[in-house]
Parts: sequence; structure tokens; C-alpha cells
Amino acid sequence: MPQTTAMKRSQFLHSLLVLPAALLLPGCNKSETGASAENAAGAGKKLTIAFMPKSKGNSYFINCEKGAREAVQELGVDLLFDGPTNTDPAKQNEIVENWITLGVDVMAVACENKEGISGALKKAQEKGIKVVTFDSDTTPDARSFFVSQATAQGIGEGLMDEAARLCGEEGEFAIITATLTAANMNEWRKYIEARLAEKYPKMKLVDTKPCDDQKDKAQQETTNLLGANPNLKCIMAICSPAVPGAAEAVKQAGKAGAVKVLGLGLPSENRAYLKDGITQSVILWKVADLGYLALHAAHALGSGALKAGDTSFKAGRLGELQVDSDGAIILGKPFVFNKENVDQFDF
Amino acid sequence: MNRYFRELSVAGALVLLLGLLGVVAPQFFELQPLLSRLTAQVPTLVLTIGIAMVMITRQIDISVGSQFGLCAVLAGNLLAGGLSLPLALPLAATAGAAMGALNGCLVAWLGLPSIVVTLATMVTWAEVLRLTQQGRFINLPAGVQWLSLSQAAGQTALLAASLALLAAMAWLLKNRSGGRHLYAVGSDAEAARLSGINPKATTFWVFVFMGALAGVAAVCNLVQSPQVDPKCGTGLELKAIAAAVVGGIAVNGGRGSLWGAFVGLLLLATINPALTFLHVEAYWEKAIQGLVILLAVVADGIRSRRNAS
Amino acid sequence: MAHSSRSFKTQLLRHEVLLLLVLALEIAYFLNFARNFGTPDNLSNIVRHSAEIGLLALAMMPVILTGGIDLSVGSLMGLCAVLFGVLTHDWHWASLPAAAATVAAGLVAGAFNASMITLLRLPPLIVTLGTYSLFRGLAEAITQGTKTYRSFDPAFLQLGELRPAGLPLQAWILGLGALGFYLLVHRTTFGRSFRAIGFSPEGARYAGLPVLWRTALPYLLAGGVAAVAALLFTARLRQARADAGTGYELAAITAVVLGGTSIFGGTGTVYGTVAGIAAIAVLNNGIGRIPAVLKAGIGGELASLLTGALLLIALAAPGLSKLLQSVRKRKTLPASATPSPSPTH
Repeated sequence: MPQTTAMKRSQFLHSLLVLPAALLLPGCNKSETGASAENAAGAGKKLTIAFMPKSKGNSYFINCEKGAREAVQELGVDLLFDGPTNTDPAKQNEIVENWITLGVDVMAVACENKEGISGALKKAQEKGIKVVTFDSDTTPDARSFFVSQATAQGIGEGLMDEAARLCGEEGEFAIITATLTAANMNEWRKYIEARLAEKYPKMKLVDTKPCDDQKDKAQQETTNLLGANPNLKCIMAICSPAVPGAAEAVKQAGKAGAVKVLGLGLPSENRAYLKDGITQSVILWKVADLGYLALHAAHALGSGALKAGDTSFKAGRLGELQVDSDGAIILGKPFVFNKENVDQFDF
Repeated sequence: MNRYFRELSVAGALVLLLGLLGVVAPQFFELQPLLSRLTAQVPTLVLTIGIAMVMITRQIDISVGSQFGLCAVLAGNLLAGGLSLPLALPLAATAGAAMGALNGCLVAWLGLPSIVVTLATMVTWAEVLRLTQQGRFINLPAGVQWLSLSQAAGQTALLAASLALLAAMAWLLKNRSGGRHLYAVGSDAEAARLSGINPKATTFWVFVFMGALAGVAAVCNLVQSPQVDPKCGTGLELKAIAAAVVGGIAVNGGRGSLWGAFVGLLLLATINPALTFLHVEAYWEKAIQGLVILLAVVADGIRSRRNAS
Repeated sequence: MAHSSRSFKTQLLRHEVLLLLVLALEIAYFLNFARNFGTPDNLSNIVRHSAEIGLLALAMMPVILTGGIDLSVGSLMGLCAVLFGVLTHDWHWASLPAAAATVAAGLVAGAFNASMITLLRLPPLIVTLGTYSLFRGLAEAITQGTKTYRSFDPAFLQLGELRPAGLPLQAWILGLGALGFYLLVHRTTFGRSFRAIGFSPEGARYAGLPVLWRTALPYLLAGGVAAVAALLFTARLRQARADAGTGYELAAITAVVLGGTSIFGGTGTVYGTVAGIAAIAVLNNGIGRIPAVLKAGIGGELASLLTGALLLIALAAPGLSKLLQSVRKRKTLPASATPSPSPTH
């Protein structure tokens, strides 16, 4: 009851204040109240899709955004783009809750906190807003579909297998991660360690160090690891700034080739090290395609072309893609970039 | 002896830590990695010199990390665009000095508290950097790394240059009137004014110099690798302030020496590798650094109480 | 820093009135130009999203008033969140006793800061810089950096969503906190002594005030409030992890200083702090709703930039007018000495 009176009062106040402004500025934007629920599937109405990376000012997600904007051009939707600019773990929740009150039709979110963001996303669903996640998932009940570059298991095992291949399945290795609290990297580490225990008894994980998502810190940590563990055969860098950082440390230590470097990173940041034979392999999916696919999935969900239970869906230039029983749409196998093929990629 | 109590006790702690490493993990002292580790601290050392001078003048500057990042990205983009390296250094220093001058104006001429001014400029430059560079790495042209020298020669040159800067500044601060003015203004601005020093001008120029050093430090960083990471300045202000504090620079001004700050930096910068060499888990790092800072100030507090009574 | 008390009072009044004016302008502007700003859901979000930083700012205000600072409150939030997780999940305590124990732990941490600052007479900036690392480090060590506590008691999680009498619970707690700190600072002899200590600790000591205990109290309270903020944060985010509250200390200090409390201590009001919190919260929420900003996707960056600018303008305004005055004075009275700059940070 008090809410409805508060609503009336605020709407009254609102109209009071909007009136003069509307007279003065004929072009000014009016607010759209409750746009989402009724009009979501309505024909002819432009869908509003909100798109959130895990963090802004990060080259990985800049590439993601590029792909998303390409899809926006194709599909003719309105795009809202926002994300955290600092390390506050509550920021994504706040943006989702703000989007709910902005009246968007679909949200596409790369989740920093799997459980943490689920409450906010469920709230959005209750208001009739459709939710897809991409890059990293929330709990399955808080979204309709998850656009995945590869499963956490696939990434973890892929990294471990590649490391084992480079080391001849024996010897010590170390991991450089972004921060110790980064949820998706911890998920990957879990699968890396499981794969290690299961398949590679002669390999040993000697240490895991955080680099705070900074290249220089990754370089310093790698220098220390190389000194403290003389038998180290491989550095696995699982966040993108850490790969060139680790490579630089190996280069400075004069251990190029003797200590292998692999990791998840952008080809453009690792080209020189790959060509010099310091970094052996960089694993990544086509990041722009991930954003492109996320936006296509969001659009299809919002316009009703994609429904729960569908087993495949057509995503623009990517063609027909499979949807698995958990609602995950898989982009396809990640690429392994190496000396030979790195020049074919421009991101 | 008593006069250099803090410097000596921090140096003592450093020697203890190094001794422990010498027994448990002698490979810590292998020459080449040691050189790499030390060179990696050169940018922080340059910042620490500036921060120490700012703190001696009874001010603080928490925007230096953002200044550093902006200067690194500016110089990096210019170098990638074909600017020659000898020009990059004065350009970065000038850009830094300009940012420092803004801080200096607001603090010295408007009398605003430096912690708040530099909090605001820290945020401003960080957001400007994020909006313009968007997190993209800059690939530098060949020949920038190690100033076209060999790796060992480049590292030695950087180390020597930064130590020379430290020695020169330490000497100036102790022995020249311009340097003594910082101490005078930091201990008592009014008394300094009455004895013919202009505290406003002194404060202003300290911030300008700090900014210029941030630019120099940024160049010292970017010549160490073939790429610039736009996040390279994040958190550096706290590292430099912590080094100065542990090394005995008083936050309420007028006291401390650059050599103390230098030893403080060496101690803090040794803790992180020491943990790796002693095989201590990474998640203890922050707690141990906090403890070291607290121990340093507690020792100081107890000593000054004993002296007072 | 020696102004006559009357001119100072008028200046203070001016600051807070100006701030309220800025707040009113912000609100009017956003009601007109920002999308769906005035909806009840959004207004309640503004409060919910700023509750933790708001509480920290309220607790920071008396600390700064005594001439101190507390950089450790954000880290302490992380430690308290983790402690609450340990108690409920690993030790299987019920939520209520676990919450009480968390608040007690916050008070102990606050007492630790307080005893270092008062008993050993160490500079607050350095002590809390140390505990800023220490508390976050302990939180990381307890969870080995990686552990996230999830699936809390549903009744506890309701704290993040409850709306007693139509207002979010956070609004009630924030209001209660504001009232409590208002009474403490403005209506008790205790509060008046904070100001006296901030002006001159030596003077306060000679005046016979129990300076030690009265300097300690704000830090103690800040510890307790950080624990409460950690509980609210955990309930809202549905998870407890070592990174809770990262960077909140600077946000809280910003709100306090914007609210007119002098960073040197001695002057300031709780209602100014409340206005400061509101001005920042409204700016953060509204700026990202302006259509052009929405389109460009730069809401977060712009909000930070404008907060920084607002802070500088708020601080520089009286200084600028003073500078102009002194220039004018110097023209008429060339021999008189200009006031020296106020040192320190």
C-alpha cells in the first residue's frame, strides 16, 4: 500500500518536473516505464539488449564488445553496454538491478560471481526480462541460456593436456593466475588439478601465484618461481596479461625453450614471444565471435525465436549451433595459437 | 647511532631476511635473476624518492600510480608511432610534471589537503586512462627494450642511473639549502616562512618534481619489456608510500632520509620473492606486508615514548 | 587554520547548503533527463546500493573529526564477511550468534587500531595503512584466497531484500546509523570533545578531557560498523569472500570530505556527511541513465570522474574565494603578511 502511494506521488512529482523541461526541450527523452514485460515479443518494437562484461577497460572484453556491436548492426536492436570499472564485487549486481528499473528486454551478462549475481538475475526474470549469460555462467536457474566459449572443464583439461604435451608428460610446472579470488580461474584450476592427478602422475604443480591482472607482477612472480624452483619445466599463465609477463621473465632468465610458456591470451599480445620461441602455445577462442554469439542468442531469446528446450539455433554468420540439455550454447573448440599460425589472427 | 636508529633497524631486518634466504635458499643470490629482480624495482624506487620528498614536506600524493600509468601509455603510444627514445623521456617527464603542477596548484595556492586533492586526481587520471586506452597493450618497436643495449648492460645502466639519482637527491636534501627547505616547511611552515622560505612555492615545486619523477619512472618501466600494460601503475602509490613509511619518513613531515626509504623499499620488495623461495603460500603475502608495516611503526612508537619519558 | 568561530560557522553553513543545492539540482536534472530515475524501485536501489559505503562514511566522520583517518574499514569488511562465513559454514553456528560474533570481532579489530593509535601514539594514517594490508591479508589467508562461502540461511539473506513499511531495510539501518552518529557527535559532550581533539589534541588534554579514550572511541565504532556493513553486504550479494569491501575506504572518505568535514579534523557535521553520501549515490545512479551516456556505455567512468570533480570543486570553492580576497587585500594593504598555507594532508 505505501508503495503504491509512493509511486503515485513520485509520478506526480515526476510529471511536474518533466513538464517544463519537455516544453523547453522538445527533443528530450521521455522515460519508458514498464517497457519490458508486455512488449518483449511484440512485433515491430526494437528490442533493448543490455550487455555486461566482467570488467571494463580489459582488452579481452573490448574484443567481445566489438563482436556484440557487429551483431547489433545486423539485428537492429538497442544496445546498453556497461560493466564494473573497479574491483568491487557487488558492482555487477548493482548494474543488473539498475537495468531492471531501466526496462530492458534481454540481458547478456558475463558473470564475475556465479552465486552472487544469481539473486539479481532471478529478480530480472521475475520482471519478465530474459537473461543469457556468456563467458562465465551463473547458477542455471537464474538464466535461460549460457553462451560458452568452451566449458570450464574443457579449458582446464585443454591447458593441462597442452602443458603435458610440451613437457613430455613429466616435470614440474607452476600456474600464474589473476587473483586468488577470481571465480572462473579457480574453476579452471580445479579441473587442471583433477586432470593432473588423473592422467599425469609424473608431473607436479609446485606453486600458484596471483599477478593482480598485471603484466609486470606476472613477470616478477615468474622470475621468482624460476629461481626458487630450478627444475621448473613449464609456466602456465591462465589470465591474459600474465602470458607476456611470464614470457618476458623466461626470456630475461635466458631459459627460452628450456622452460615452456603457455596460457590463455590474445594473439596480438603474444605474437613476438611466440615467434621467438619463448612462448610455445596460446589458447583462446575467437573472442569477438563470443560477443557476437551472445548478442544473437539474446536477440533470439527476446524475439521468441529461441525457447527453452530447443536443441539448436542459427546465429548469423556462425551458422547453426548446438544447444545442450543444460541450456549451454557452445561457440566451438578453442584455437591453439603457435609460431606457425599466429599471423592469421588479428585480435 | 640513535639518529639513524630506524634506518639501521630496517637494514638489520633486511640483513636477517637475506641471511635466512642465504641458508635456506642460496639460489636467491644467483646473479642474473637477482639483477632482473632489482631492475624491476627501479620504477618503484624512482617513485619512492619523490614520495619521500613529498612526505618530508608534510604532504602526500596518492595519484602517482595513475600519473605513472598515463605517462607510460602516452610515451608508449608515441614510441610506437615512431618517436625516438631520447625524446620520450623528457616528454613523459613533462607530462608528469604537468599533472604534478595541477596537484601542486591546488595544494599550495588553494591550501587544499593533499590527500583529498590527490585522491580526486588519482581517480580522474585513472578514468581518463581507461577511457582512452581501453586496456589495450601497446607493442613497442624493437630497440626500445634495454635502450638498444644488451640485457645485462641495460639492466646495469638502469640500476646505476636510479642509484645515482637516489644519491644525488639524498645529498641535495641533506646539504643544499633547497633540500633543507623541504624539512623546514615540513616541520613548521610558519617558522619556515618567517625565516624567509616561501612554503607555497616549495610545496608547489615538490609536487611538480614528484610528477616529473612519475614520468621518469614510467619510462624506466617501459624500457624493460617490449610492451606497455596500461594497468602498470595500479597500486604503485601504496608500494612507494609503504616503502617510505617503513624506511622512517614521518607522515607528519620534517623527518626521514631518502636512504631510509631506499632500505624500506628493499625490505618490502624482498618479502614477496622470499615467500616464493621459502615456499610459503601466496595468500599470506598481504598479511605479512601489513605486519611488517605495523612492526616498523610500533618499534618507532615505543622508542619515541621511551625517549620522551 | 585559525579562523574566528563565527566566520567559520557561516562558511560551514554555506558548504552544507551548497551541497544540498547540488543534490537538489542533481535530482531535478535526473528526474528530467535520466531514464526511469524517479521510480520507487530505483529510489530504493539507490539506498540499497549505497548502504555499506554510507555506513562506513558515517563511522569515518567522527574519526576524521578527531583529526584521524581509518584506511582499514574496507579490508575489515572483507575479514568480517569471511569470519561470518567461517562461523556459519565451518562451525555450523546459527546466523544470529554468528552475526553477533562478527560484530564483536569488528569491535576487537577497531580496538586494535585504537590502541595502536592512542596508547603508542602512532599516526593513524600509517597504523591503518598497516591494518589495511593485515585485515585483507588475514581474510585471504583464512580462505586461502580461493574459498567463497555460499548458500546462507534464507532468513539471513532476506536482510538484503526486506522492505519493512515500504522502505528497504538498508534505508532503516542507514537512517538509524545517521541518527545515532548525529546524537553522538552533536548532542553529547563526547561528540564535542571529538571536535576539540581534532582542533588541538594538546589543548584538549590541558582542558582536562580524557583524550585517550575519546580518541579511541571513533575507531572502535568504525570497527563495529564495518562488521555490520559486511553482514549487509553478504546478505545482499549472497556470498562471503575475502574481496568484500575492496576500495570502500576511499569511497567513504570521499563522502565525508564532500560533506564538509575538514580532513585536518576539528570541523564537520553528520548531516553534511549524509548529504555527501546522498550526492554521490544519486550521481552514481543517475549519470548512467542519461540516454547519451547509456548509448556510449560510459556510466561508470563518468560517475567516477564527476565525483572527483565535485570533490575538488567543493573543496576549492572556499579556498578560491579566500585567495581572491587575499589578492584584493594585498592590493590595498601591500605590507600585510599573507597567510601561510596550511601544511599536512
